[in-house]
Amino acid sequence: MIATLRYEFLMQIRRPSLWIVYGLVFALLLITMPFWSLDMGLPLEGGTARQDMTTAAMILITLLPVVYGCMLADRPGRDRLLHVDGVLDATPTSGTARLLGKWAGVCLATAVPFAIAYFGRAVLWAVTEGDPAALGWAVVTFLAMIVPGLLFLGALAFAGSLVMPSIMFRVVFVAYWFWGNLIPPNTMPTLAHTIFSATGDYVRWGLLHPLPSGMVAYGEATLDVLRPAHSPATAWLWIAVMIALAAVLLSVVRLHALRRES
Amino acid sequence: MRIDVTGLTKTYKGGVRALDDLTLTIPTGMYGLLGANGAGKTTLLRILAGLLHPTEGRVVIGGHDVTTQEGKPAVQRKLGYLPQNLGVYPDLTARAFLDYIALLKGLHNRSGRRRRVTELLEVVALTDAADRRLKGFSGGMLRRVGIAQALLADPELLIVDEPTTGLDPEERIRFRTLLSRLAGDRTVLLSTHIVDDVAQTCRTLAVLANGRLAFQGSVTDLVSVANGRVWTVTTNGPPPTEGRVVSALPEAAGMRYRVVSRQSPDLSAKPAEPTLEDGYLALMDQVPV
Repeated sequence: MIATLRYEFLMQIRRPSLWIVYGLVFALLLITMPFWSLDMGLPLEGGTARQDMTTAAMILITLLPVVYGCMLADRPGRDRLLHVDGVLDATPTSGTARLLGKWAGVCLATAVPFAIAYFGRAVLWAVTEGDPAALGWAVVTFLAMIVPGLLFLGALAFAGSLVMPSIMFRVVFVAYWFWGNLIPPNTMPTLAHTIFSATGDYVRWGLLHPLPSGMVAYGEATLDVLRPAHSPATAWLWIAVMIALAAVLLSVVRLHALRRES
Repeated sequence: MRIDVTGLTKTYKGGVRALDDLTLTIPTGMYGLLGANGAGKTTLLRILAGLLHPTEGRVVIGGHDVTTQEGKPAVQRKLGYLPQNLGVYPDLTARAFLDYIALLKGLHNRSGRRRRVTELLEVVALTDAADRRLKGFSGGMLRRVGIAQALLADPELLIVDEPTTGLDPEERIRFRTLLSRLAGDRTVLLSTHIVDDVAQTCRTLAVLANGRLAFQGSVTDLVSVANGRVWTVTTNGPPPTEGRVVSALPEAAGMRYRVVSRQSPDLSAKPAEPTLEDGYLALMDQVPV
């Protein structure tokens, strides 16, 4: 598993298109959102390192996962496309270990530009505000609010490659991202802001930046049954749901590979 | 390493039967597997390499049944496999690619692994290109990378599927020589539809036709299948209609045809000494379609 993780990571991180596409979308974010200004143009009270890091995460989560999913799309089917699968399958390393290594390696590599943007923001805050706590909060926020969603999206890209070509997956993924994660829930039936949404709302509002008592993040909407109130418990539940969904999707991918062998 | 194949059948989805009750014993040394395209060679090799489950039958390699969950990794630890369509990661160098496969084959000791990779790059004459990305490699160079990866764990069984297809004559000869040299106390299973490759490297072979075993034995035995059935005919007229024309060579006296036929194809036909190719064609004429 470690060997596959290492080489899949290297191959993905050296891919020029990864940096170009991330760079373009990040430039778009800079133009449209005052990401690098310290108050970020948002009327936040207090302006603590914790709040700033949470808001920075929220801003990045709006668009960068689109790049993340699209850049992952061609990785699962790449071994077959390049005809490397025969050589890999003939080694004594189990298919499950290779699948996990590949998933972890490419997800990790694809998240690197995301992390650089995010931690860059944290360093900027820490230096200009003289508050090194921002770095600690950045680590906590990244791990709790961003990483679980990315793990799930990575597994989704692997499962998606079973049912459609990578180009089509990219189109479907972009549509899914906006419909299933960003659209205000009172405009149409959507998975956005539910416990199945990958945007980390539950960690943001339930754990890192709790809403004032009695305040709700969104008005009434369909599928509200999937939107339990934000609390520390639902924040942890969301993390568990993301990891469980990733595990289920990867199991489906592995079972499919086993069926193909027979 | 001995291979015992018993009652092996593989039926793909859609009912295509690639192997049909195949029973075969492969001894240590260089062994040829001949057959036309679609005869079932690649399916057999993929089953031997543990890449495909058979529909029925057993495959015991060095005492382990590769069709079982326990037997498969045990066989794969002793296996080197060069598939027909070898692919590589174009963005890796030859050295990095071999290092990755070596890790997957369980060569975890870093210095030992690096030494082995360097050694094999030398064996396949790729030392100078070791740190170049694979996307710039020619077909012959990629084949050599393929054989190097197959040899990484010093396998007792080496399976090579159509290794010389697409290579120029010089590369082909070099490749064949390399395979023969590797045989020694290993089992090298060479699958090909190029009869000459087997003629130049193997003493024993099997021939598959329509998923069944058409022949198993020595090269000499297969050649003798064509005894008394090979003729040469020199004529200015049309080619002989009786039998199968193996070759046509223009000469001063007309076109000289080599024909495999049960009876003399022409009054002027002269008997000729059979080759392995003649034996193979004579055998194929006997196989029911």
